[in-house]
Amino acid sequence: VRPFSEQTHYEILEIAREAPPAEIERAYRIVRATYAEDSLATYSIYDAAELRAIQERIELAHRVLADAEQRAAYDASLGTAERVELALSFADDDEVSASPELKGFEELGEGGPFDGARLRRARLARGIELDRIASVTKINPTYLRFIEDDRFQELPATVYVRGFVTAYVRCLGLEPERIVPSYMERLLAARPEKPLRALAQRTR
Amino acid sequence: VGGGKGGVGKTFLSANLAVALARQGYRVIAVDTDIEGANLHTWLGVRAPSRTLADFVAGRESNVMRLVIATPVENVGLIAATQGNLAAAHPDAHRRVELLQSLRRMPCDFVLVDCGAGAHPSTLDYFLVSDDGLLVLHPEPTSVENAYAFVRAAFYRRMQVALQKHDVRALVRDAMDQRSARGIRTPLDLLREVEQMDPEEGQRFVETMRRFRPRIVVNEVATAEDVKLGFSVSSVCRRFFGIDADYIGYLNRDAAVRESVLRRQPVFDVSPDCDAAVYLKRIARKLAEGAPLPQNPAAEAVSR
Repeated sequence: VRPFSEQTHYEILEIAREAPPAEIERAYRIVRATYAEDSLATYSIYDAAELRAIQERIELAHRVLADAEQRAAYDASLGTAERVELALSFADDDEVSASPELKGFEELGEGGPFDGARLRRARLARGIELDRIASVTKINPTYLRFIEDDRFQELPATVYVRGFVTAYVRCLGLEPERIVPSYMERLLAARPEKPLRALAQRTR
Repeated sequence: VGGGKGGVGKTFLSANLAVALARQGYRVIAVDTDIEGANLHTWLGVRAPSRTLADFVAGRESNVMRLVIATPVENVGLIAATQGNLAAAHPDAHRRVELLQSLRRMPCDFVLVDCGAGAHPSTLDYFLVSDDGLLVLHPEPTSVENAYAFVRAAFYRRMQVALQKHDVRALVRDAMDQRSARGIRTPLDLLREVEQMDPEEGQRFVETMRRFRPRIVVNEVATAEDVKLGFSVSSVCRRFFGIDADYIGYLNRDAAVRESVLRRQPVFDVSPDCDAAVYLKRIARKLAEGAPLPQNPAAEAVSR
């Protein structure tokens, strides 16, 4: 381990030389949060001046590696390691649109039905806050919480819940085909067909 | 299982990881070294341990192996500690060395050592005797701060034991004072100084550093940000301390855990599919990676 000032941009962001752009963005967000002003992980370790210096190194690393041309030039300057084919599009800048799991926290090998707790575990394993899903999907965060807590009786009509769960699952970058029916099966077992009461109430 | 701060779930984790590993087919011995606040036995459903570390401390039992008592959980043995005689609660230096050596020779697959709070040298020794020290954190400033203090203290303690030359050890002692006059702030600063003073000791320093690999567990996460704290602490350990501390897992807040302590039963028996159970099994699986296969492979299928 060398001091920050001597680390490569890759070491600064804690990623491999061949990391694809989406991985760079994700690593950047985590490292930036780690060394932020009020970070839980660092406030007792670094003083303000040290933090500022580190933050500048992180920003520089991200600036260079997020830009295909600059990254290629930087890689060339590093030499040794083999050149990396860079994808030229950075369209996928939205952390929610497809979020791979955080390193090493696999969840879906679990087996069993997809209940709310399992959905929450999958969400946490991807580092996604509930509020983020609410803002992307425009679903009331209270309903999202009810979904995770399996509070079936408090959820609206089945047709809505199916839509909510589908949107939620998509936000995690998962396939709804397998997960949504599993969730809905448990909901329907607990709450045999409920009429469209929510809709009726709203239009009244 | 250590982590500096009290109340972060060290004993809960020790007990339930012991159960998780046992149900994967391993033979496990859980050891309570938290002499002032012993309660590992309660988590494991043992009401009043018939033999405890106190018997060893008082010289009533000289063989550490014979301190192991059975628990209601199959394949989990326990060396309990109780608040018997607080005046002479801690083993003297000679007995402590014997205890530490015995812990490494236990006739089982895993020994889980529950450390007390704080970073007292004896606590650090129980932590350092392990192959995989688990550093338990809560996502809150006090816990993170104590965890760093614990890692720092454990690291220096290990260095003091590993290094041999008198003047180099004096340097390490000096570095343990954060306001050290020599301006040594981090283990990396210290390494530079040691290397300059004596290249051979520098080599030993690096070797020791490499073998010190605590693993991080974040307990009682509520948000995704809490989950990510483990990565951040791991990053700081590497960058600031030069220590590879892998993030091995997290557990979220789970009402079943409280239920489990109230009923004095492992959380797996209270609520087999609860979040805490799933997370514990995951951590246990990671701990068992690289370990020899369980003696009883049938148990593995049950735990999945």
